Formats: sequence, C-alpha cells, structure tokens
Amino acid sequence: MQTGGHQATRRILLVDADAFFVAVARLEDPGGAGKADLLIVGGAPGSRGVVCSASYAARAHGVRSAMSIAQALRLCPKAMCVPVPRGSCGRKSREIARVLGRFAPLVETASIDEWYLDMTGTETLYRGEPLDATAHRIRDGVQRETGLAVSIGGGTNRLIAKLAVEHAKPKPGTGANGVRIVAAGEEVAFMSRVALAEIPGIGPRFHERLARLGFVHAADVMATTEAEIVRRFGEREGRWLHQRARGVASAEVRERDLQKSVSHEETFDRDIDVDDELERELLRLVTRVASDLRAKDLAAATVSIKLRDRDFRTRHASRTLDQPVIADRVILSTARALLRKLRAARRVPARLLGVTLSSLSRSDEPLQIQLFDPAARDGETTRDRTIAATLDRVRDRFGPQALVPGRLARTRAASTVEEAEAAPRQRVGSTNSRPAPRKR
Amino acid sequence: MRLSIAREKLQEGLSAVASAVPGKTTLPVLGNLLLETTERGLKLSATDLDVAVSTEVAADVETAGALTLPARKITEIARELPAPSVKISSSDQRAVIECGRSKFKLLGMAKDEFPAFPAVAYDRNLRVKSGDLQRLISHTVFAVSTEESRPILNGVLWEIHPSQLLMVATNGHRLARMQVGGQYGSDDVSVIIPPRALEQVRRLFPADEELEIGMSENHISFRSPLTTVISRVIEGPYPNYEQVIPLDNDKTAVIDRAALTSALRRMAIVASDQTHRVRLSFNAALVKFSVQTPDVGEAQDELPVHFSGDPLEIGFNGNYLLEILRYMPTDDVRLTLKGPERAATISPEGWDGGADYLCLLMPLRLVD
Repeated sequence: MQTGGHQATRRILLVDADAFFVAVARLEDPGGAGKADLLIVGGAPGSRGVVCSASYAARAHGVRSAMSIAQALRLCPKAMCVPVPRGSCGRKSREIARVLGRFAPLVETASIDEWYLDMTGTETLYRGEPLDATAHRIRDGVQRETGLAVSIGGGTNRLIAKLAVEHAKPKPGTGANGVRIVAAGEEVAFMSRVALAEIPGIGPRFHERLARLGFVHAADVMATTEAEIVRRFGEREGRWLHQRARGVASAEVRERDLQKSVSHEETFDRDIDVDDELERELLRLVTRVASDLRAKDLAAATVSIKLRDRDFRTRHASRTLDQPVIADRVILSTARALLRKLRAARRVPARLLGVTLSSLSRSDEPLQIQLFDPAARDGETTRDRTIAATLDRVRDRFGPQALVPGRLARTRAASTVEEAEAAPRQRVGSTNSRPAPRKR
Repeated sequence: MRLSIAREKLQEGLSAVASAVPGKTTLPVLGNLLLETTERGLKLSATDLDVAVSTEVAADVETAGALTLPARKITEIARELPAPSVKISSSDQRAVIECGRSKFKLLGMAKDEFPAFPAVAYDRNLRVKSGDLQRLISHTVFAVSTEESRPILNGVLWEIHPSQLLMVATNGHRLARMQVGGQYGSDDVSVIIPPRALEQVRRLFPADEELEIGMSENHISFRSPLTTVISRVIEGPYPNYEQVIPLDNDKTAVIDRAALTSALRRMAIVASDQTHRVRLSFNAALVKFSVQTPDVGEAQDELPVHFSGDPLEIGFNGNYLLEILRYMPTDDVRLTLKGPERAATISPEGWDGGADYLCLLMPLRLVD
C-alpha cells in the first residue's frame, strides 16, 4: 500500500541493465561479439535453443526473446549467434549489485538485471541533491566500474519506478538520457501517458478484455469511478486496476532473504523419445540442481519438472514433499515419478526437460522429527544427507565431474563427441562412481 | 419420467448430493447428478468415482424414469424456483422443470452414461450409531496428511472391534486417535478411508441415526434408510501407529487450553513461516515460550503450569500444536513428554465424554 502522509515520501529507484546478456557477451568477447552489431544471445547457430536477448539492431529485424534461434536467424540472417555467457552474467550481476549497495541503504535484486533501490531517508546524506542527480551518479558509477550501461527509473513507489525506467532507456530517437524520475505529486500526470499494457500484472488476456471495454490507457481508467471499475472487473481485480492506473502501489523494497527456486533446463540437440534416455537427462539435471541447492545451503520441499514436447507444448508437474530435502536420491525419485506421469499422459518426442526445486528453506533449519521411520517410505534419511554432503566435499576438491552417477559416467565414456579435455575427468568419474553407495 | 415434488424436498436432496460432484473432471457425466424415480419418490446420486453419495426424497411419481442433469444448473434452478411445488418431466435426455409460471428445459445425458455404484455386501451385520462416527471423524480427520508423497496417510484408519470403534489419522508428524466403546458386530475390521468420504458421512446423517456398514474388497458403504455414502478404500497397510504412542513419557504438564492457545498464537506471529518453530521450556511452575526467527525478530511469553518431572526444553511446530488444541474438548489439557526429540502426547484433562482421545506430536529438532 502507498505510504501514509505522515511518513517520509518514498524515493524508489529501479535500476535496469541495458540489453544485459548482449552487453555481457560483448564484454566477454570484445573481438567477436563485441564488434557484431547484429548479435543474438541464446545459442550457437544450428543449436535448438531460444533467444535469450538480442542487440537493439537485431531487435529492429523483429528478433525477440524466447523465439527459437532458427526463427531468429531467418529474420536476421546476418546476425552473430553466441551462447549465453552464464557464469559471466551472474558475476557481472553481482558486480552491479555491489556498486548499487554503496549508494543505497536497501537493494533488492529483482532479477539478474534489475534492482530496486530504496533511497528514502538519504536526502541529508546526499546533501539535498535531487534524486535525478543521484541516479545519474549511480549510473556513471556502474558504467565506470563494471563497463555496463544501466537505465534508472524513479518515483514514490515500485510501480512508478518500473514504468519510468522504460522512459529512461536511451533508445535512439527518444531523447531519453538513461534516467527518468517522476517527482512526488506528479504520479497522476505521469500515469495519464501510460498505456495499460505497460502496467506489470496486465497480461495479454486481461489487456484484451480491457481493450474490448474501451480501456486502453491508464487515463481511461482514471476517467471512470472506482465503483464502476469494481462493478465491471470485480472487487479484487477492479480495486487493483483502479489503484494501479493512478500509480498507487507498494513502495516496499526488501533484500530477498531467500531465493525462490533453483532450476536447470536443457534443450536437447535432437528430440528424445526413449524413456530411458530422458531419464538419463533427468539424472544429469537433478545431479546439477541438487548440487546447486546444497551449495547455497538450501533445502527444497517442492520438486517440479518441465517437459516441452516436439510441438512446443510445454507441460509441468510438481510435487511437494512433507519435508524439505537436499539429497539427489530423493529429488531424483520424486522427479522421475513426475516425468513418468507426464510421459504417460502424452508420449511424444521431447525437446526440452527442466527441473526446478522450490519451497526453499535454509538447510540448517530445525528438522521436523518423524513419527514413523522415514527410510521405510522413501523419505530422506540421515544416510541420504551424509552421502550428499560427501559428494559435495569430493566435488569441491576434485571438480564437479570427479564423482558422478555411474549411469552418466558410462554415457560419457561411450560418447564420441565428448570434448577431448573432459576425457581424464571421465575416467575418474567412472571408476570412482562405481562403488558409490547410491543403490540399496 | 414425470413427478411432482415440494421445492424444499428437491433442494434438500440436491444439497445432500451436490457436494459429491467433482469440481473438475475428465468424464463429463460426473458433472451431472443421476435422478431416478423410486417407490418412495426421487433418488439423487452423485459421484467422483472415489466417493459416491445418493439420497432419496419424497415425491409423487406419475411415470417412472431416470436421467442425468448438470449438477450445477439443476442446483441453481432449484435455488431460484418461485413456488413451493415443482413438476419434473423428462423425455429422451431432456428434462422440463416447471414451477409456478417458470419453466426450464435442461439438457442432460442418458442414465446409462452414469457410472454404476460399486456393489457392497451388508452381510456382516455391522451397525454403528451415526453420532459415534461423527465424533470420531470430527476429532481425528484434521490430522490426516495432504501431501501426495505417502498416499496411505491421505486416508483415515477406521477400526471396528466387537466392543469399540477407533479412528486414527496422521501426517507422520502428528497423530490423532479416538476410540469409543459399544457393541459392534463380532469381527475385527480395519479400513483406510479418504477423508472426503468421512466428511460426507459426518455431514449427511443425523446423529441419532443407525448406519449399516457394507463392505467389498475395495469399497465401504454407510447406509441409512434414505441415504448412502460409498467410498473407495485406500489399500494398506497403515503404519503401526500403536508402536509410536509413547508409554514411558515421565513428564506431565497440565495447562489451561485457552491460555496455551493464546500464547501460541502470539508466538506464531514471529515464528518462521517455514517451520513455525516455538520453543517451550518447562519447569515446576512455568512453561516459557520463545521464538527466534532470523530476519523477523524474537518473542517470549510464559504461563503457569502444573508440571511434574525434570525440566525440559522442546521445540514444536506451533501450528500443529494449535490445531490439536482446537479439537481438545476440555478446558485443561494434559501434555506428557519424555525428551526433546521424543513424541509428546496431548489429551483432554478430566474428560468424561465417554471416549478416549489422544493426540501425538513429534518435536522439531532444536539445532541451536
């Protein structure tokens, strides 16, 4: 809710890294991607990945994120295609957050390339400097220290900041200079130029419904009484819309205490239809995601899988366990049951498989003791946890491939396309993993 | 089919069966109710294939017949009918409902599309008073598991012995058990029933009615002269609950239930959203409550208590404890404890309710 009049006016900034993945890819490879005007980040040409981000020049050809690489290249054949520089993106994102942390008392990481800053109460600290000027200094600081450009929107709450940042981006022809602050009291005037489709939470479906009733701009909603809006859209949705159109929204910025989910997904080089092969991919994903989970000292109660069929139909299944878990064995058996369920419902070749762990808690949180022996019902046992911890210790010391499930080690050894440099590690994997006490 | 029925009777029948209609279904006919004429009037049935409910209401039948009608539509129509008397007639798969000057034509589906109720035998001569069953249900079902990971715990164990009825539900962290005495046939019977079926049983039968219990290999039935609830049973075995009920808890606390509830509710405000952990520290005259949640804060409270045994510190999921307290029928409750990682029991103190009621709660491990 908006803050009451007796409280200090909120000063919220949204910092958004400009074409983040493209910018990072360019920093990574200044001689190649760095020079390509038409750049697509998402996967190599011929790969079956999707566009994660594209340079402004490539976007002008109609390339959009989430489009398949093949389709993007049809629209923009001259574009250079590079895979997502995952490790660098995470590192750069943290670098930006560190710079922001020096300027703002409270920084919330909204995504890998977006941060909310609560600058409320910093007026004296910055000696009465207008928020606009502070934002420019933040922007220059990030550019100088990380080599990445950011745009900053600001206002009295998150919604205004989020909408303002779109008007801040220095796109050609807009005259924007990277910062757009909506002053306190100017919210209604600002909102009257905003299209409803820009408001977060108004998706294509809702937008269509609104448009049918003649509501296209926030101004259209503002011109209608709240009672009328509520009558048309119902109590909850109506009130929400009435407030958002006037720029009323939460100003709460909080440092995320916990991540929401840990996930990995894989688009296969070719569609997979053999259950056994899919389950091996599942094992690979689970091994990775479970290890990430533990590296963050987290435990997960919900296991979800995502399966994209050849015809791009994406299906999900998830299960919440009665206890947060950390061990590969339990996560795998849950994920496998889910995969089998999805496969039984529709058996067509799959192009993508993903595993997500959510309902996260800290792994050191007090554990609910069970009435009945957990081992008797395939729950996570102390033994499972010990095995997981041991795996992590070995991998910490000898690398992530030092100890892998036997099934994955065998496929690696059999694979002929494996990179040469992986060979020695493979051997370690296959010999070490054989006696791994994974099966009972 | 042609009949006339009092609006109230129609509404009564519909409200009895409508809640057995599944919200979502892949089999369209399950969204319908089966209407059949009988000697006594009109019989209405609904099922989601796991639980089936049917009931008969008085009606004047002119011509016998049967068809299925969309449950939601017929219920909504019955609710809005303007006059006390209703005429229902049908031909093919279409029903005409007339009431006062209102007239509805409703498209249904053939009777044969509706799944037949499973056959059960009433040959064990088992009869149970509905009131006893209701009491067991309302004190135990809350403890059932809602997780899919262990289907057996999604059901409630019902044991019928010649001289007692017993019901147990648990989610593996807490357990509720109630038993009442009486005379119940000559066999020992044990079934695991989905809570949804028991909810129908609790709701549909008046407390003083005697129910006949029917069984087949996969189903159980509860029958009164007019109403029947048939449910799939969950295949066992149920975990050995007797084994986990502690007999050697050597510390006892007697606490005012309302005061304990209030204190726990206060602690819950600050307790972790994930674990709901509340620490309880018992000594001779006091129980101290404390909560420390990183990023949220801390809370402390205390209550006078009659405690016997060595002082003990133990952590519980406060929500579990609160839920158990809600079903305790007395002003004071008795807690028995053994150690910080052993099961606690909670039971009504000084209860003469003619039943034996016990809840079990496993603690949370205190790591710090």
